[in-house]
Amino acid sequence: MLETLLTMQKRHNASPHILRLGRLFCETVLIEVEDQSFYLQFRDGQLISVTPGPSAKTSWRFALRTDRQALEAFWEPLPAPGFHDIFGLVKIGRGRIDGDILALVKNLRFFKEFMALGRPAANGEQPA
Amino acid sequence: MSFEPITGRYINITVAGRAQRIYVEMAGEGRPVLCLHTAGADTRQWRHILNDAELAAGHRFFAFDMPWHGKSLPPHGFETEEYLLTTETYIETVLAVADALSLEKPILAGCSMGGRIALQLAALHPERFSGFIAIEASDFQPAWYDIDWFHRPDAHGGEMGAALVSTNISPHAPLADRWATLWMFMQSGPGVFRGDLSFYTKDASLIERLAMIDTSRTPVHLLVGAYDLTCTPDDAKRTADAIPGATLAVMPELGHFPMSEHPQAFRPYFMDALKRIG
Repeated sequence: MLETLLTMQKRHNASPHILRLGRLFCETVLIEVEDQSFYLQFRDGQLISVTPGPSAKTSWRFALRTDRQALEAFWEPLPAPGFHDIFGLVKIGRGRIDGDILALVKNLRFFKEFMALGRPAANGEQPA
Repeated sequence: MSFEPITGRYINITVAGRAQRIYVEMAGEGRPVLCLHTAGADTRQWRHILNDAELAAGHRFFAFDMPWHGKSLPPHGFETEEYLLTTETYIETVLAVADALSLEKPILAGCSMGGRIALQLAALHPERFSGFIAIEASDFQPAWYDIDWFHRPDAHGGEMGAALVSTNISPHAPLADRWATLWMFMQSGPGVFRGDLSFYTKDASLIERLAMIDTSRTPVHLLVGAYDLTCTPDDAKRTADAIPGATLAVMPELGHFPMSEHPQAFRPYFMDALKRIG
């Protein structure tokens, strides 16, 4: 999971249009996958660190909580219905979004495009 | 110079005692079909159907922008009011447009809130239409989001609305059509998507009216995309089951905006729906 997130970090920071979408986004986001947690620190849109948790000292603005199988299905090139979107995961009972939902909604396209970076790249490179 | 088959004109109607200038697009020759767009969008969602030469050979399609949407301006005095669409106003608008266009028992095809109102009209004014195609339409859905997100002074409602509704677009949709579909939401006027959703997510009056629909007089066919998380296939099935004689097709590679997000995949289902109305 960490390897995938690090691959996504590289792709994210090399995607000018995503960085432009998130240019005002300076928040920490928690991704929790079963018993694993990762703190993603964004600054001016850049993803500057992916830090494995848990960490009681690290505050976060919003969290996406899901299970490994659901996230792998989400990262399929053509995900099945419900697994195709973060709110889809919530709707089918395979994900939860906690924290400052409005902060997420205000930056929703940015965060969705970041999350989609876990899907296979157009050049055929598979994320870990 | 080569124009698309679609032509656009304006009509002037009165709805709830207020003058409304309505933008209408039309194409084709034959049996009239009146098309209704979804919440937060406009007539451009129907661009591929209206430009389809084969479909337009037997049908005269009309699609109009609801007041406050697309090229239909809000009414005079809008600047001091809160836009909140109601079932009654929506019904009156559709009937007034059909009258202004002198449509003789058209087929009514509506998507999402347009599908909801098509079913309301099937129950309340069936004599005005020859059949109903209700796309991504159900009896009722409460909001799974806060509609007030989409009208705030500190954020762009259109951008947030587009990002939210992308949840309901199939990953099978071609990128160009996906983003053209989302662009309409990005362009939506302030508070308009919220005002549409207000009626769509709060008015449950259709539930008890479904049994009034007489499909032996006016056929009803429902279409639903498997990727639609707002009106799921289960929602559409529940709705179809409550209408004696209604038929339903599930479209496996489509979402909530099928005619706009993936026109090629939608086309055979829409063609079949038109044939079913007979």
